[in-house]
Amino acid sequence: MSKPSSFSLRGRKALVAIKDERDATIVRRQFERLGIDIVAWEPGAKIDCRPDVTLIDDDFLPLTSPVQRAVLGRSPVIALLGTETPSRLKLVLELDPASFLVKPLRSAGIYAALVLAFERSERTSELKQQVVKLEQRLRSRRVVLAAVLQVMHTHALAEPAAFALIRRAAMEQRKTIEELSAEITAKGSLPAQRALS
Amino acid sequence: MTKPSIPVGIICSQHGPYQAMGREILKSAMMAVDEINEQDEFDFAISAHVRDPRGIISEYHTVCDDLIRNVGVEHIIGCYTSASRKQVLPIVERTDRLLWYPARYEGFECSDNVIYVGASPNHNVLPLVRYVLDNLSREIFCVGSNYVWTWETNRVTRELVTAARGKILAERLLELGESAVGHIVDEIVRRRPPVVFNTLVGSSSYDFIRAFHAATSAAGLDIPMLSCSLCEPELKIAGPASAGCITSSAYFESIQLPENRAFVARWKARHGEHSSPSVDGQSAYVAVYLLARALQRAGTSDIGEVRRAAAGHRYNSPQGPVWIDGSNNHCVLTPRLAVSNAEGQFDIFWEAEAPVRPDPYLTQLDIAASPARDGTLPNAPHLRVVK
Repeated sequence: MSKPSSFSLRGRKALVAIKDERDATIVRRQFERLGIDIVAWEPGAKIDCRPDVTLIDDDFLPLTSPVQRAVLGRSPVIALLGTETPSRLKLVLELDPASFLVKPLRSAGIYAALVLAFERSERTSELKQQVVKLEQRLRSRRVVLAAVLQVMHTHALAEPAAFALIRRAAMEQRKTIEELSAEITAKGSLPAQRALS
Repeated sequence: MTKPSIPVGIICSQHGPYQAMGREILKSAMMAVDEINEQDEFDFAISAHVRDPRGIISEYHTVCDDLIRNVGVEHIIGCYTSASRKQVLPIVERTDRLLWYPARYEGFECSDNVIYVGASPNHNVLPLVRYVLDNLSREIFCVGSNYVWTWETNRVTRELVTAARGKILAERLLELGESAVGHIVDEIVRRRPPVVFNTLVGSSSYDFIRAFHAATSAAGLDIPMLSCSLCEPELKIAGPASAGCITSSAYFESIQLPENRAFVARWKARHGEHSSPSVDGQSAYVAVYLLARALQRAGTSDIGEVRRAAAGHRYNSPQGPVWIDGSNNHCVLTPRLAVSNAEGQFDIFWEAEAPVRPDPYLTQLDIAASPARDGTLPNAPHLRVVK
């Protein structure tokens, strides 16, 4: 299934915590136009939904509950800024917002803030996954190096040929190089030299 | 007894790159003002204060400021390009005035201080592209003016075409007013695309249409051209080369409704037998009537009251029944498709069964919906038809 376009917002659910009724009305009207469902929330109250995005007024910061901060961390956050003072921005940064709007709100800007937030969140999520993969590969580098040295010694091969042997064997066995290297170092099971031919 | 007068600002460029359209808008708006001032139905007269920003973008801000500060208008009709509307928007929002914007535009805006009388993107781009995908081709060659209307029209077109497993063969852009179109026409003749989508505006479009017609005729090619903006006065400017263009619009002079026949007759009596109203001009006419009717119903020129009075109030206009959707301040209207003929008119071959709600953010657009393959014209599955 293809991922939803960041430009199409229909059917998404937003947790909204806004202090000023005029700002809240503008958000409600604009979200209705965009087909976004709103769940009104006031910090302190329990969050009993899984929002796709959260709009939070900086007047509600800081959030004292670690549980609430964790819930908000699962989806993009859009901060509503009433002031640009560093002390307030520091509180906002604790939520790692994906986008922001400046109060008093206008209908203009809300769509762009949402699209940027969803897109930023998507890209950050992809980057995090990449980082996890790279960290795993970094951790297994020591194992791969040990396996290459073992194959070099056992088969009297130079380093490039030993690595090529492990890579080819991994492909044949449908394993990653890291998995096969771990087997080589743990069990001493070496790829057959014929795989080189 | 003299009726009380309500001042209304009219902003349209009578000079500059899109002066032709500006003049059409002014002619139609003034025709509506004169009609309203003569009718007993209205217990007030409209006092029109016309300003000409001469197509200079920064001038829109200046003339709008002048109308609000010095004349004291609460309602303004006008602006043509999105860039001009964006210049006016901060002032009307800050001072809480109401802009009645007649032009069709690319959407993705919804100010409480604007009434969007022209077509939304779901009224013009969607029916046209659906028609092409269903009936002509899944490969489109795009050529347009390098500004927001083309960018957004091309984006929507690309999404629809890609979802239908089609292809945008090219996306060629020219600066506004550019007349060097030869290299694009050469490329079209060389590549022979099945369809060309023209989103050029003003003189660039007329130059392109003439060069395209000459080159494809010489090469023995019959490539359909598409447009979301071409209108009757432009067909006259571009000449016979403009025949055969498949065009999407809410208004054509050839609409066979009693209200339109009467409107066209009044227009010709006023501007000459050989002149034609345009889609944006007719929309300005509609805007003045929607404003006047809302003023009458509200009994005040207060913009909040007028906006509420305008919402949902049906007006049988030349283009058919229209009304303002109170949830987004855009106009409910009837999309149509037509093909231009050698007489400088459009032959309408499709219209929605009923007026269609505006969808300025294309929220209801289902990109993944595949076009029908039965050869029918664009219809209900992709358009929200309202009764």
